[in-house]
Amino acid sequence: MINLWAYLGISFILFICGIMVMIARKNIIALLLGVELILNAAALNFAAYTKFSNGNLDGHIMSLFIIIIAAAESAVGLGIVIRFFQLRESIHIDDASTLQN
Amino acid sequence: MFSNTLFLLSAVLTVAGALMVVYTKNLMHACIYLLASFFGIAGLYACLGADFLAATQLVVYAGGVIILMLFAIMLTGGTGNKVNRYGLEKIPAMGNKKTYFTAGFTAIVSALILVKITMSAMSGNPAVANLTNEPTVERLGTILATDHILAFEISSVLLLGALVGAAVISRPRKEIHD
Amino acid sequence: MDYTITTVAPIVLLPFFAFVINVFLAKRVPIAAVALSTLAIFGSFIYALRIFLDFQNVYAVGYHIHKVFTWFDLSAGEHLFKVNMGIYIDNMTATMLLMVTAVATLIHVFSTWYMHDDERFARFFVYMSLFTSAMLGLVLSDNLLSVFIFWELMGFCSYSLIGFYYEKEGAGNASMKAFMTTRVGDVFFLMGILIIWIIVGNTTFVDIYAAIGAGKFGGVFTSFGIGLPIATIAALCIFAGTMGKSAQFPIHVWLPDAMFGPTPCSALIHAATMVAAGVYLSLRMYPLMEAGHILTFIAYIGAITAFGAATIALIQTDIKAVLAYSTISQLGYMVIGIGVGSYNASFMHLITHAVFKACLFLSAGSVIHSIHCQEMPQMGGLRKKLPYTFFAMLLCCFAIAGVPFFSGFVSKDRILGDALLMAMENKAFIPVALLGFGGALLTAFYMFRMLFLTFFGEPRDHHIYDHAHEEHIGWNSNIPLLILSVFTLGLFYSGSFTGQGEVNLFGSKYEWFQTLIHKPEASHLEHFAHYEKEDFGTTDTRDKVELPKAAYDANHGLSEEAAHHVHFVHKIGAILSIFIAFAGIFLAYSMYITKKLDPNWWATTFSGWRKALQNKYYFDDLYIGKIIQKGLLPFNNLLAKFDSGIYDRYVVDGTAVLNRWAYNISRWFDNNVVDSGMVDGTGASVRLMNVVLRTIQSGKVQLYIIVLVVVLASYVLTLRF
Repeated sequence: MINLWAYLGISFILFICGIMVMIARKNIIALLLGVELILNAAALNFAAYTKFSNGNLDGHIMSLFIIIIAAAESAVGLGIVIRFFQLRESIHIDDASTLQN
Repeated sequence: MFSNTLFLLSAVLTVAGALMVVYTKNLMHACIYLLASFFGIAGLYACLGADFLAATQLVVYAGGVIILMLFAIMLTGGTGNKVNRYGLEKIPAMGNKKTYFTAGFTAIVSALILVKITMSAMSGNPAVANLTNEPTVERLGTILATDHILAFEISSVLLLGALVGAAVISRPRKEIHD
Repeated sequence: MDYTITTVAPIVLLPFFAFVINVFLAKRVPIAAVALSTLAIFGSFIYALRIFLDFQNVYAVGYHIHKVFTWFDLSAGEHLFKVNMGIYIDNMTATMLLMVTAVATLIHVFSTWYMHDDERFARFFVYMSLFTSAMLGLVLSDNLLSVFIFWELMGFCSYSLIGFYYEKEGAGNASMKAFMTTRVGDVFFLMGILIIWIIVGNTTFVDIYAAIGAGKFGGVFTSFGIGLPIATIAALCIFAGTMGKSAQFPIHVWLPDAMFGPTPCSALIHAATMVAAGVYLSLRMYPLMEAGHILTFIAYIGAITAFGAATIALIQTDIKAVLAYSTISQLGYMVIGIGVGSYNASFMHLITHAVFKACLFLSAGSVIHSIHCQEMPQMGGLRKKLPYTFFAMLLCCFAIAGVPFFSGFVSKDRILGDALLMAMENKAFIPVALLGFGGALLTAFYMFRMLFLTFFGEPRDHHIYDHAHEEHIGWNSNIPLLILSVFTLGLFYSGSFTGQGEVNLFGSKYEWFQTLIHKPEASHLEHFAHYEKEDFGTTDTRDKVELPKAAYDANHGLSEEAAHHVHFVHKIGAILSIFIAFAGIFLAYSMYITKKLDPNWWATTFSGWRKALQNKYYFDDLYIGKIIQKGLLPFNNLLAKFDSGIYDRYVVDGTAVLNRWAYNISRWFDNNVVDSGMVDGTGASVRLMNVVLRTIQSGKVQLYIIVLVVVLASYVLTLRF
């Protein structure tokens, strides 16, 4: 019952949810939530393949780096969000559609 | 039996959390649901025998990213501004039917992509785990410090850059208002 | 002494570096620039003296040092195109180096006095340094190509120094004239170099000698039905270079005008070194002249120059003009020497003339500096005011007039003796000898006329006389003159009375000149092919074998009988020369001191000749009035007419008409097709695309994600896994 398909299915659902969050929400922080979901789906896939395929730990390493990158990305992304909010009094994604003021 | 139970619980938590993130209209709630989903993912890691990854997931996401998100939400929330600068009514921050429809369409398309890819990759019988659940921390550390030392160092630089960059970006600059 | 890059190159490079530094230094620190130039040439003198003593004392007659380095190498396969530069030092080079550096040093020292209140004091030394480095480079060159390079550099310096007082009327024209006139010879010289290059494959002297010896110049160049031996063409071309640089008839006209320059530069460039470089080139190329059978032509050119210039000098009143024509005349004697095969004597006259003519010019400079006037009729009686200058000039006049025991006698008498010898063998040379002796008479006359008019008699212009500065002995004012005048004694060049060793007064050890300088004999030219060439570097790779010193041979390799004949003829020539010299001096004495002969009587009796002489035989009129104004100017006018009448009218205007048609067509095309269709169409299409792209390029991130997903989907779904 608990085979690779189960894990892939879960990560599939996570990915689709992330996509939907990214498209449906207009709040920048919500978009970041979606990104986190997508990244986690990928990381979960790596770990699952490690378990069910060859057993060496390179997949774990990849997952680890994905987590690292996700952390860095969310830090910078939230910094940008806060800065953007200071400038525009808004974190609506459609307000961020121009390059200049 | 225990691992099956753990897997089921974790899977349910993960999927439910993710779906609730999509569904809920409250950003704060969405964040909490995401936290739940991350807990579930940590459980899945544990089921996969990736103990170090599970711990990292908990520490980094639950302890770091979600807290950051909550802080950001609290720092930026509270604007009742419903119109943009051209005076047009904005789409609500958490979406409406139209955006959900678009999102559903995009999700279907990307699901098709994934299915197309995974179907060809998974045509055979999925392999069965033959690993015992032994601790991976020591092996992981060895690999990180030997084979992947370059990536390790680069990621440390990346983290430092992200740290400094986040601090610089979010620092208030008065001259822009002048 | 080792001959390496450190002992030879400074001779050229010291003045050259002085030039380069002075270019920047001259305006800011003039006195330092002057000191640098003078010290640099003095350093060159020390190096040259080392080489000269080495050659005079250690090495044998045929010894030489030839070092080459590759300048550039474009050889491709069998097409050899490799240009070597190098140095070639033999006895002649060593002597020449010593002469040039010594004279140049003394003239530099003199210039520090002569030019010191000039506003362009330092600039003068800039040019002088460049000039001396070019001259020394020419002397050291081992091939015609680098000779040509330095030759042109000297021409440029001459041009700049003639036009040095450019605010003076005529100086600019004079410099232009000198440059353009020598250019006539230089073009031929370059052609000669190219001919030699084609035939020999390079332009090194020894290779040219070897090629002549191997008979490579035996071919005949046929064109328009006239066949000319290649050797003759090449020799004529090279000799044309000599004619230009050494101011030989008929392109001598630039040298008198060159006297617009400062007097020290006249002394160095237009008396001692640069004009002698032309003769030096002909001496170097002597085997080619011989192979081309143009020696008779050369002798005639020299004789006409020597005599004609001497006649013009008779009536000049400007002290520098007299010296200028005397220089042309003496150069003519050197060329006669080449023409009659008197190689050694010709070179000796080059050296002795350089010394006494430099001294004469410096003396004239001293006179001019003290009375600020160049016209001899306004001088007179300056003997008491300028005793040292007078003494130096007197010795030099003795030398140039050919008084025994002075250098001019030794060298000129040997040339004239050889001319006499040739005249007795070959009737064609009789006019040469006659003109030579006649020129000697005139030389003695006009030099002493100059001396008497300047220094003797009563002062003719008391205003000038009273304002003349009293002369005091000074290290840079008249010491250089006195040093040079000492070296007008014949003893320094030849110990014998006639210069041929016949009446040997001081023994053969004073005959170094004849011992060292030898004509490259036609029968021995093959051995130049075996001459060693070494790479120019920091080490001396020669065999350090002590060569046997050459002994003086009083018979010059001739048989006893032939030598006796030669010596007999030379004795006749010497007696004739002495007689002629004293006759000329006596004539001048009786005309200007005792006044027994009235110059005015001569002037009125021969007024037609006098007019011709005053107009310098109408050469300037001929060149400027006839050739340039009648020949070149109408030709230019014709060209101008062609230009305006035909070219402008039909070609240019026709082009304009065609252009107008083309303009009308293209305007229609432009308005209707380009503007309406393409320009406006571009705008319209841009506007259209703008609408499309603006919709897509909305800045909305979510739209980008959707597009990304759709594109990825269309990509992935069309793939077959």
